[in-house]
Amino acid sequence: MFSRSSVSFRLILLSVTWIVAALAVGGAVLTHHFRNHVENSFDFGLTRHVEELLSYAEFVDGAVTLKTRPTDPSYLRPLSGWYWELAVNGKVQERSRSLWDQVLPAAPSPPKRGESIGYFHEGPRGERLRAVAATYSLPGYDGDVTIYFTGPATVIEKALEEFRETLVMSSVLLALGLILAVVLQVILGLRPLKLLRTRLAEIHAGNAERLTGRYPSEVEPLVADLNQLLEHNAQVIQRARTHAGNLAHALKTPLAVLGNEADRMEGEAAKTVAEQVVTMNQLVTRHLARARAAGGMGVPGLRADIGDIASGLKRTLQRIYQYKARADSDQTGVSIALVNVHDRFVVGDRQDIEEMLGNLMDNACKWAATKVRVTAERTTKDIVITIDDDGPGVPEHQRAEVLARGKRLDEATPGSGLGLNIVHELAELYHGTLVLESSDLGGLSARLTLPAAP
Amino acid sequence: MRVLVVEDEADLRRQISRALSEAGYSIDEAPDGEEGEFLGDTEPYDAVVLDLGLPKVDGITVLKHWRKAGRDMPVLILTARDGWNEKVAGFDAGADDYLTKPFHVEELLARVRALIRRSAGHASPVLECGPVMLDTRAGKVTMGGDTVTLTAHELKVLSYFMHHQGRVLSQSELIEHIYDQDFDRDSNTIEVFIARLRKKLAPELIQTHRGRGYSMSAPGDGA
Repeated sequence: MFSRSSVSFRLILLSVTWIVAALAVGGAVLTHHFRNHVENSFDFGLTRHVEELLSYAEFVDGAVTLKTRPTDPSYLRPLSGWYWELAVNGKVQERSRSLWDQVLPAAPSPPKRGESIGYFHEGPRGERLRAVAATYSLPGYDGDVTIYFTGPATVIEKALEEFRETLVMSSVLLALGLILAVVLQVILGLRPLKLLRTRLAEIHAGNAERLTGRYPSEVEPLVADLNQLLEHNAQVIQRARTHAGNLAHALKTPLAVLGNEADRMEGEAAKTVAEQVVTMNQLVTRHLARARAAGGMGVPGLRADIGDIASGLKRTLQRIYQYKARADSDQTGVSIALVNVHDRFVVGDRQDIEEMLGNLMDNACKWAATKVRVTAERTTKDIVITIDDDGPGVPEHQRAEVLARGKRLDEATPGSGLGLNIVHELAELYHGTLVLESSDLGGLSARLTLPAAP
Repeated sequence: MRVLVVEDEADLRRQISRALSEAGYSIDEAPDGEEGEFLGDTEPYDAVVLDLGLPKVDGITVLKHWRKAGRDMPVLILTARDGWNEKVAGFDAGADDYLTKPFHVEELLARVRALIRRSAGHASPVLECGPVMLDTRAGKVTMGGDTVTLTAHELKVLSYFMHHQGRVLSQSELIEHIYDQDFDRDSNTIEVFIARLRKKLAPELIQTHRGRGYSMSAPGDGA
């Protein structure tokens, strides 16, 4: 659905990257704050125990003693992780029963008087402990009384673990939801572009001449520009064609005058002029045909109806050859049969296709005894148009010559000598082919292959 | 035989007209589509040579107008654009033949001759009426195998009769088809030409139909 270079792919990739990054950073920040929060509340609980113990401490007879001991069973159960210690001037004076015969490792840096610190350290069984230590002075005693309270860090870790699980799960759900939303947004948002592409394909196929439909305001100018470009293209072709036609008209009339004057005169000069007129006419015809055809190349949306063109040519050619005498009959004229030519469309400008088909059919009529047959077939990618006649045909070794530039096998039959080779050139311009073969009718079979219009 | 030449290029028009005149046709000329259309509408021509690229009104339009108005004289179109679409358009508009520029004047003469002959219903270029034979290609007349020398005007009158054998032709029809529009027409001259033709060929060849005109038919046809 999305190619790597498509806008959709890029938008989605960018959004996914951004969503994942944002969620990762958000998760990290949240985890950090939650950890602080959990530690703080744990410390808060320990601090209350510290203060409780402090209230039990008194300075009697030059020694610090406890009036009573905390009764919380956690501090009685041996090696429970819940410990306390009371140190006087760094020397352990009292400790919880849970510590049994162990001693808490000293704080990394004992808190100064009036200070309270929270930290992690390793307990007697190698377990991680969270500790709060605070240093006080007692009334009547000037020494430092430091109280330590610890609880197992697993309590904190467990809370964090649960939080992380919830966070990851909700983040993944959120990410999936966001990505889905992005994909939907991209598909819906880019729908006008997809529509544009479909319409352009129609133009390419020759089913439409301009872009139609309503487009959002961001795309509308592009559509307008494209339409203008298409129109401009059509105009340029039209202009080039008119120009070529005018040029032909402008050149050929003087050529006619020149040729006729030469016909009336005698001598070498007149002969030379007459010959040059013929040459010039061939050049003009050839180059104009090429220029015209080349002008139509690469323009989207060209489509020509073979049936329509062949019918028009048949009408015309039957009139032109209405009085053509036949060798073995009193009847005149040529009968032209069109077989399967309807609903056959080729890619190309109508006039160019008409030119190719016209020259081939004209040639067939010129040489035919009585019959000309035009057949069109559709193959997977092409339309194959075959023009057969029952004339003398062209021997195999001369066929290549007929297609060569300006070559005519029989100089006596009128024509500019360009017919078949113009078709050959135009066919090549249109990525098609022209092949001459022997016809089952007895004469020449010209097979013109052109790309089929979709 | 009267032929209208509609061509905007003066030199070519002159060449065509000269060649047609020399071949024995009476010629009217028009330099643009408007004048050409008017002449074709008002004068009885036996053939028209019509260029397609004309100023004011183009040849295809002129031809369409004529055909729509029921003018059915044979028309030979001249085209410089040798594209097939123009030929198809020309024939669909009602042309009878076409020539692509540049062309040889002889080719044009042959086409015009054939058009006139065919429109009068003759298949062969050699017209016969009893012992008289007219070769339209060479403008040569023979009587029982012997060549007969005729003046240009005598030939024009004979040619018109030969093309329309068996039909009664009025004096005015003969005048219209023999002289171009600028000629000072005098009905007496027709009588003179007919008298000369009877004398040079055979007295019974051209019959007089009092008050209606003349006709030509082979002796023994009973016309």
